[in-house]
Amino acid sequence: MKLSELKAGDRAQVSSVAAEPAVRRRLMDLGLVRGTELELLRFAPLGDPIEISCNGLLLTMRRNEADGITVHKLASAEGRQHGWQGLRKRHRFGRRA
Amino acid sequence: MSQHKTITVALAGNPNAGKSSLFNALTGAHQRVGNFPGVTIEKHEGYLDYKNYRITVVDLPGTYSLTPYSPEEIVTRRFIIDEKPNVVVNVVEGTNLERNLMLTVQLMEMEVDLLVALNMMDEVEQQGISIDLDQLEQLFGSHIVPISARNHKGLDDLLDHIVSVSEGRIEIRKNKVSFSAEVEKAIDKIVGMLCHEPALDKAANHRWMAIKLLENDREVYTQVQKYPVWVKIELALQEAISECGMLHSTDPEALITEDRHAFVRGAMQECVRKPKTTRASASDYIDMVVLNRVLGLPVFFLVVWAIFQLTFTLGKPLMEALAYSFGLLSETVAPHLPAGMVRSIFVDGVISGVGSVVVFLPNIVLLFMGLSFLEASGYMARAAFVIDKVMHRFGLHGKSFIPMITGFGCSIPAIMATRTLKSRSDRLATIMTIPFMSCGAKLPVYVLLAGAFFPPAMAANVMFGIYLLGIAVGLWTAWLLKSTVLKSDSEPFVMELPPYRWPTLTSVVFQARMKAVMYLKKAGTLILGAVILIWVASNFPRSSALDAELATETARIEASAVALELKAEQRQKLEARIDAGQLEYSIAGRSGKLLEPLIRPLGFDWRIGIALVTGLAAKEVVVSTLGTIFSIGHAAGETSLSEILRSEPGFSKATALSLMVFVLLYIPCVAAVGVMKKEVGTWKPVLFYSAYVMLVAWIASFITYHLALLWM
Ligand SMILES: Nc1nc2c(ncn2[C@@H]2O[C@H](COP(=O)(O)OP(=O)(O)OP(=O)(O)O)[C@@H](O)[C@H]2O)c(=O)[nH]1
Ligand SMILES: [Mg+2]
Repeated sequence: MKLSELKAGDRAQVSSVAAEPAVRRRLMDLGLVRGTELELLRFAPLGDPIEISCNGLLLTMRRNEADGITVHKLASAEGRQHGWQGLRKRHRFGRRA
Repeated sequence: MSQHKTITVALAGNPNAGKSSLFNALTGAHQRVGNFPGVTIEKHEGYLDYKNYRITVVDLPGTYSLTPYSPEEIVTRRFIIDEKPNVVVNVVEGTNLERNLMLTVQLMEMEVDLLVALNMMDEVEQQGISIDLDQLEQLFGSHIVPISARNHKGLDDLLDHIVSVSEGRIEIRKNKVSFSAEVEKAIDKIVGMLCHEPALDKAANHRWMAIKLLENDREVYTQVQKYPVWVKIELALQEAISECGMLHSTDPEALITEDRHAFVRGAMQECVRKPKTTRASASDYIDMVVLNRVLGLPVFFLVVWAIFQLTFTLGKPLMEALAYSFGLLSETVAPHLPAGMVRSIFVDGVISGVGSVVVFLPNIVLLFMGLSFLEASGYMARAAFVIDKVMHRFGLHGKSFIPMITGFGCSIPAIMATRTLKSRSDRLATIMTIPFMSCGAKLPVYVLLAGAFFPPAMAANVMFGIYLLGIAVGLWTAWLLKSTVLKSDSEPFVMELPPYRWPTLTSVVFQARMKAVMYLKKAGTLILGAVILIWVASNFPRSSALDAELATETARIEASAVALELKAEQRQKLEARIDAGQLEYSIAGRSGKLLEPLIRPLGFDWRIGIALVTGLAAKEVVVSTLGTIFSIGHAAGETSLSEILRSEPGFSKATALSLMVFVLLYIPCVAAVGVMKKEVGTWKPVLFYSAYVMLVAWIASFITYHLALLWM
């Protein structure tokens, strides 16, 4: 599935990155290569761009760029209740409908 | 005297790693530092003397990789390749090693004389991260020096290492990251071909060139393409692509990056221990509010509004105190000066003119402190995230937003900051919005007029309204440009959010002091000069008829048989009338009159016209010119400029609003136009733009004036 199809709180692993060469380069430089684990943190107030965390940093990109990143889901937000996941669940205004 | 040896050191690293902080700490310079990626956009040189060495330090724009992406990143790569600095210091963010070390690997591949400065050790310790430096040095082959640029820790150690590396006393082991078998095979093949090309430099790093060719690096492509060996190389590249596709279902470029990541990840696992955290950090909590789906935009507006509110409300008592002391000053000075020309130039010119600008010092300093808090805290990048979609609707970019905010301070650095945008059409559109982001120099005009014509509670809101109008016109302009002449695909938005950081007290105080000094300098040079010119232009030539009238009338009053007080009053009235007549007769008066028909529909008389023209030099001059022209004909220290304006029959609330709108929108100062030309490249678009801006300003002021006349 596409990165942009994840829901806030989902964890996933990158399986491929496709984009215009320069953008792809930038995404890969920032750590989005095959095998990288990431978590979709939230969508911006107007639904675009999105924020993810991977390798301990916070990245933002537009859905347009996220469409090119294929991932497979590791765990969905519903599955996990502990730690700060749970905390976000309680405060989840940021969730996409 | 021993001779100085010179060493050139380049500071390279990811954006926001603290290169400029280190540069400032080493050289004592004051380069801009901010907690968001892409602060530095040009290389800056500075030097220091250490032991027997003169060390030239070069601060470079941050870059994520050595296959450059945006214009300012190209600067970095060019510098390292072409200028061959003696030592490349790779500044690395200790709290974010995984991404930072990716660049280190690429520097290793270039086989430069590398030294790693592990920055932000204070944060590393605070977060309880432990790093095995020895092991890391083993893996990367170059020395690693822990420092904290912000706290000036570890700098001597770093300098010692720089000296040792440049002297060759520290061996840099040319460790190699080995890539997947297919990539290595292709590299070997291409290196073999490059070696056999007689025209190519034997000393060049062939392995690096081969890697870059596999990474589709355009610059190396064009470099090699002109040689006959290219035909063979192209075949080898094709072969590598198909092999990687078959065996790894990806291309060489991605495979190389993956392999570098694997290397870095391995190194991290061996050398770095992070404490396990289960709880959300303070940063996460703040983001939950600030980036929240519902609260994000309101928070954003609240933050911007708060800054202006602060600037106005907190600044007001200070400003009034300053204004009061200038009034006192001219009252005390005036009697000691010989009446006539000299008194007039000091009292009407220097004190009223320059003083009217200087009184806004508190507001300016507060505004800049607010902006630098935004820059230093880490909110800037987050604001770009929150607002990106809105900007996108107008054809702009979330990142356009950072220069726009900078533009509230000064247009010049803001226009230069657009270099972080990759696409030229986005850059141009962003540059064209910046003059509408009302700069700090326009602030005195608003504070003066809003303060004079509106009750205190309203004044701050009127000002905020003016700023909003500027933003609206700016966005509208961008939209207009992007949907006509600057049509293009939208630039991708990929950005990192830095961790929140508290600005240090010393840096805040320092920044405030620097802004204050700069403002006072401007007041003492440019604005003083303009004031004197305006004074001269509004006092010469003198009408001898009026002079004669003054003499005869004075004599008549003196001779008349009325009471003394009455005489004084009559004399004052007479002088005011003659002064006003002289002003109209002067160059300034006459040229203002020429201009008047053009601006009459906006509610401006010729005096405001003069102020607007002189405002092209710098926007504060609008205020100082009003100060000089309007104080002619008023006794020294009699009343403040805002009271004088209020008492002028031709100056109504509607005039004030219209003038604020006009000053907001019309041509930026000459310095900003110059920088615009430099960044855009040619005059034509800049001149078109200036004409457009004038038109917009005229129309907007016209509407404002007539609406205000109707409603107020
Ligand atoms: N805690 C801490 N913060 C630091 C240190 N050095 C720099 N910073 C902060 O890191 C942020 C980035 O610093 P800069 O010096 O602007 O970074 P840069 O590498 O020049 O960034 P670009 O010009 O964007 O490439 C600022 O907020 C600094 O205050 C340090 O040693 N410790
Ligand atoms: Mg910098």
